[in-house]
Amino acid sequence: MLKTLIGRELLDNLMTFRFAAVLLITLLLVVANTVVLIKDYEQRLESYNTSVQTHHKEIQEKETYSAGEVEVDRPPNPLSIFNVGLDKRLGNEIWIAHNNVPTLWEARMNASDNPYLNILSSIDIVFIFEVVLSLMALLFAYDALAGEREQGTLRLVLTHPVRRGHILLAKYISAMLCLLVPLLLSLILAMLLLTTTTTISMGADDFGRIGGIVLTSIAYLSVFYLIGLFISAVTQRTGTALMLAMFVWGALVLVYPNLILAIIRSSDIPEAKAVSAFNEIKQVWDEFDRERKHFLATDAFPGEDPTFNINGMGFFYEHFPENRLTLLYLYNSMMTFGELDEKFEEEVPHAQNYFQYLIPSTINTAERAWLIRKQALEDTLVRKSNMKRTLLKFSPVGMYDAATQAWAGTDLKGVRDFFDAVRHYRQTVIDYFYNKNAFASRKWFAADEGAADWRTLPAFSFKRSGVEINAKRALPDLFLLLTMNLFLFMMIFLVFIKSEV
Amino acid sequence: MWHITKREIYDNLNSLRFALTTVLLLALMVTNAVKHLREHPKRVQTYRDAVTESSDRLTAHADGSLYKLAQYGPGNFYKKPSSLHFCANGGESILPDTIKVGEPPVFATDSENRVILQGVWSLSYPDANLQNKNVGPKVSQVDWAFIIGSILSLIALWFTFDAFSGERERGTLRLMLANSIPRHTVLIGKFFGALISISIPFALAALVNLLLISTASTVHLTTEAWGRLGIIFALALLYTSLFVALGLLVSARVQQSAVSLMILLLMWVTLVVFMPSTLASIASSFSPATSFDEFWKQRNPIEEDLWDKYDEWLWSSKVDDKTLRGKSAFFTENAEREERRHEERLRYRSSQVYRARAITSISPATLLQHLIEGFAGTGFERHLQFVENTQRYARQLREFVADTDRADPESPHILGVREGMSKKFITPESVPRFEDTLNLSRDFNTAAMELLLLTLFVLVLLSGAYLAFVRVEV
Repeated sequence: MLKTLIGRELLDNLMTFRFAAVLLITLLLVVANTVVLIKDYEQRLESYNTSVQTHHKEIQEKETYSAGEVEVDRPPNPLSIFNVGLDKRLGNEIWIAHNNVPTLWEARMNASDNPYLNILSSIDIVFIFEVVLSLMALLFAYDALAGEREQGTLRLVLTHPVRRGHILLAKYISAMLCLLVPLLLSLILAMLLLTTTTTISMGADDFGRIGGIVLTSIAYLSVFYLIGLFISAVTQRTGTALMLAMFVWGALVLVYPNLILAIIRSSDIPEAKAVSAFNEIKQVWDEFDRERKHFLATDAFPGEDPTFNINGMGFFYEHFPENRLTLLYLYNSMMTFGELDEKFEEEVPHAQNYFQYLIPSTINTAERAWLIRKQALEDTLVRKSNMKRTLLKFSPVGMYDAATQAWAGTDLKGVRDFFDAVRHYRQTVIDYFYNKNAFASRKWFAADEGAADWRTLPAFSFKRSGVEINAKRALPDLFLLLTMNLFLFMMIFLVFIKSEV
Repeated sequence: MWHITKREIYDNLNSLRFALTTVLLLALMVTNAVKHLREHPKRVQTYRDAVTESSDRLTAHADGSLYKLAQYGPGNFYKKPSSLHFCANGGESILPDTIKVGEPPVFATDSENRVILQGVWSLSYPDANLQNKNVGPKVSQVDWAFIIGSILSLIALWFTFDAFSGERERGTLRLMLANSIPRHTVLIGKFFGALISISIPFALAALVNLLLISTASTVHLTTEAWGRLGIIFALALLYTSLFVALGLLVSARVQQSAVSLMILLLMWVTLVVFMPSTLASIASSFSPATSFDEFWKQRNPIEEDLWDKYDEWLWSSKVDDKTLRGKSAFFTENAEREERRHEERLRYRSSQVYRARAITSISPATLLQHLIEGFAGTGFERHLQFVENTQRYARQLREFVADTDRADPESPHILGVREGMSKKFITPESVPRFEDTLNLSRDFNTAAMELLLLTLFVLVLLSGAYLAFVRVEV
């Protein structure tokens, strides 16, 4: 019986004009945008590759260890084609130094593109699905029950010994099958385009992630279909159902996400918690500064000048840069000379002794400051942005967006994975310095007796987290979507069982 | 005709969609007003503080010798926030709101070995802001441009999709045409009926919004601002009539109202949601990404080294005429070159944006966005106007320095060098001040093309609707 019902519904749906129109529009949009998105990804990849090469060359040319600020680049995520998330917006270039534990807030953009173009809006495949598929699902659902009721066919069907639940189920299954056609077909086309370009290499994990995106898309689609079915079940006339469905769509997709973010107060003044953390960090560095000055005053050499009166071909600086918004405060100093004049030779042991003390002390202080900063950043900036995301999730659009970002690895967690790797790499660089005994060596600040050795410095590499981690991150939102499905289906069932035909 | 219009309006006023529309628009407009009242005073305060600081700097530079003013120039320039910011945000967070005045770039030492700065000031244009410190979700703006561009257009379709197909389904269309009413009267009556019934909730919501904003003591709207608001309201009506015409056209051609709504929705999604962003992506992928150095090398393959060229005079402490003239020429040329570099880069980048904007103008939603930005005094066009204002003032100030110097018969008239300039005292009051102004007629000129395009869209769709309705069988 169920089979017959499904077959009838399927035929009804497939042979309609709306199916053809929606299919055409989805295919057109997805193909056109995929081509553009691939080109955009290729451009970003190219600029990443050039940047990596430049940074590699730059570090090899540094003559002293102290001048060597290692720069690391973040590769663009190929799945940003599906959901761009934060991949394009957050910094993709970061320096690694002994005096700071790097976070994403210190990252810069490699400045080869035109930032003015950001005023134009951009798009990704998930956004197309978000708008078109939800609309399509509602269009398939609004007359499912109300239409049959109007035409009187519902009464006719119910004169047969058919269970009402079966009718609902048949409608649901057949409509979902129809909706899957444009979704899968456009995705297959997109995949075809993706795999024919040589620049994008996708592994088995990536296909797993795309599978996750498809799964989430289906759940999202089903939520909107059920919303439409619910409206159809409670209204008597198709006209009213259609109008209500459109209103709900506008409210959920268009109005709510924009409205809720506008209502939340966004301030650029740091919270009290951030201020106190910043002061704490500052105290840690002040203490460091006092000890440093004390060391200079009491060491075995005369003079308290941190430049040791040395000047010539090279430079010296020291300062405490700060950023109250991102809780950045650190001691930044550099002393590097290509050649040293004879007359400064007697100051060299003094400098060596000082740097042997200073750099490990800086590293320790940076670690201590990091412990405070890590917690404070989590409490202020990250929590605030997470709250906004949570509020967005009151609309299925927000859930869908969050879940697909998690699958693609372009969400905040995915981007932060990279910075975790960067922090790990910083430890490697420091270990490298220790192995070379760089801090106590003359090569820390002067290159006259041979340049610093960068050849055996291990290269930085970053692998995106495995698909199981993506799945773990996407699961809460996927689960929410599925629960919503179940809840809506039960509601419809209850309404439909009790309704008069 | 008026009869038909009235009937339409009464019909609509009692409907569910009218109530829903009113609630929706009111919610959006109130949010918009509240947000504006929360943020605008802060914005104005920041601007005022910055301007005061900048003005103080100019006063400090101008208090005394003419040389100091010629050397350090004015303080930084700040973009005046528009009081109609709530109409269009215009990518405010991306566009920079200041133009910096560069310090004299040349270091030299005087006879007692103290470091002194020499040279003359130049303008430098900061790049667009990156959002790379913001980890929150992408924030979109609930401004009038969004409310009109996306919501009002959707509402227009919502009111018109069943204009003819619904009546045809119910059979009332046949009834109406059985009377001796010409078809175009019916069409025009329906058009105005829909337009007026949409305008009522919109006008109501806009009124509430403006009441909230204008009665607050923290923001002030000038007469010109009210005029601009009037223009923006007229734009909203023009844009809405475009979608009303589209709705009538499709509704006249299609037999069932459900199918008509579906077609309209798909058209709306394409026109309003996808065309702007897809076209923008296509357009920006045309513009090659070049780094500054590369860009500059392409433009100026041979760059003369100014330092070598003027080496003879630059480090000399002689004060004879030839040395001073050499120094002056170096300083001027150096500043000019700095400024030109920045300017050309800005121009290159703006031309990329312009190209992209031109391509996206195919979509009426983008047209409206640009128009509202233009009249609200925000957005990219406004930024370029700010840049132009600054450049004009920079020229004016340089001329002032040259003129004052020329007026002094004792001066050797060698600008940019202490010994070569007038020793006469100047007062800060005599120096021209910068004012960032907006010009309504200029805004009209830049908007003319887009205004014409939008009107053309409306006319084409209206005549399309007329043709469709005249030939259709009832």
